[in-house]
Amino acid sequence: MTSFDVPANTAKKTIAKLPIAAAIVALAGLTDAIYLTIHHYTAEAVPCGADFDCGAVLSSPYAEIAGVPLAAFGAAAYFAAFSLALLTAFGNVLTWKLYGVQATLMAIFSGYLIYVQYSLIHAWCQYCLVSAATSFTLFLLFVASVFISRKSWEGKSI
Amino acid sequence: MNKTPLLIIGIVLVIAVLGGAYYYNSSKTTPTSTANSNTPSKAASAKPSPVIIPANAPAGAVPPEQMGSPTAKVTLEEFADFQCGSCAAAHPTMNEIKAMYGSRIHFIYRNFPLKIPAHDKAYEASLAASAAGMQNKFWDMQNMLFSNQKAWTADPTYKQIWKGYAQKIGLDMAKWETDMIGMAAKGRVEADIARGTAINISSTPTLFINGVAVPFTDMKVEPLKALIDAELQKSSGQNPSGGESSNK
Repeated sequence: MTSFDVPANTAKKTIAKLPIAAAIVALAGLTDAIYLTIHHYTAEAVPCGADFDCGAVLSSPYAEIAGVPLAAFGAAAYFAAFSLALLTAFGNVLTWKLYGVQATLMAIFSGYLIYVQYSLIHAWCQYCLVSAATSFTLFLLFVASVFISRKSWEGKSI
Repeated sequence: MNKTPLLIIGIVLVIAVLGGAYYYNSSKTTPTSTANSNTPSKAASAKPSPVIIPANAPAGAVPPEQMGSPTAKVTLEEFADFQCGSCAAAHPTMNEIKAMYGSRIHFIYRNFPLKIPAHDKAYEASLAASAAGMQNKFWDMQNMLFSNQKAWTADPTYKQIWKGYAQKIGLDMAKWETDMIGMAAKGRVEADIARGTAINISSTPTLFINGVAVPFTDMKVEPLKALIDAELQKSSGQNPSGGESSNK
């Protein structure tokens, strides 16, 4: 065992934990998205904090695409992210790359939705911010895996 | 091939679908909680949530925008904002309650336009409804504004849209437009705002039944019916199922 094997092994172990963390975070996002989807279809207002205006955000034209609530697309995306992360956790490396593509797209879209709330609707919805936070976390977990694996590779090459 | 992840994915999918379906059904039919989740812990700690209307609170617009009987034993007082999505969502519920109880309740609507950027037209909408009220068409205009909230709330030509509503409900247009910018409508809206502010209302809709705030999660037909029936029974022994009691 060389002195460089240690960080490489540590990196491997850390990387193995990232998909599990990603799957858990994706489940949180899935729950949030399902909750909002159901409230969209029941037309029942969601409890909202005094500093927020969930009604303005969730009933805005930006909350739907072709009559389908954005939250439903979010639920599908989180479920896909969960599935890809879980498959990776069980040893499928290819799915992590797909996960990375998806997490990146979700983070970009979440950024757009934050812009919409801030600049176009001028109101915030706490559930949407939770969703944005989970999306960014999913993306950061992927970035962390890339960063750690690169470090590990650099360690081996020395 | 390891089938464990596929099994877990399948289980999560089933739980998501069944759990979602269960929640969908339960949220349509039953009350979920008695906690006032419309004023969450953060807001609650910063500002006490309204529970009971204090006796010394300003009266609001006199006479108020009202339906039912002013002498009824049960008074429902709703503070709402025409650009509030939750208020629009609660509007059909309020209509159902009003239709169900008729003169057995006294229903009061209070204008409480929130001063937030997203509700930039809420104050004007209150004036538009109050001006319609001066032709005894407040409830028609209120209905138009809430039922079509999505159509005008983000439309720069909202005043034209409102004019369409005014014509549709048969208002004298010249009078309505004059009243809308007049002191009388403004005075009524301001009086309602003063009452709501004194009560410490921080979110809309906020509903009171006989002066006691109804938890937001109970602003559905069945929970409201239960609360109103309880008040009716308590005050006059009326039969909650719809008719007058036999001893009356």
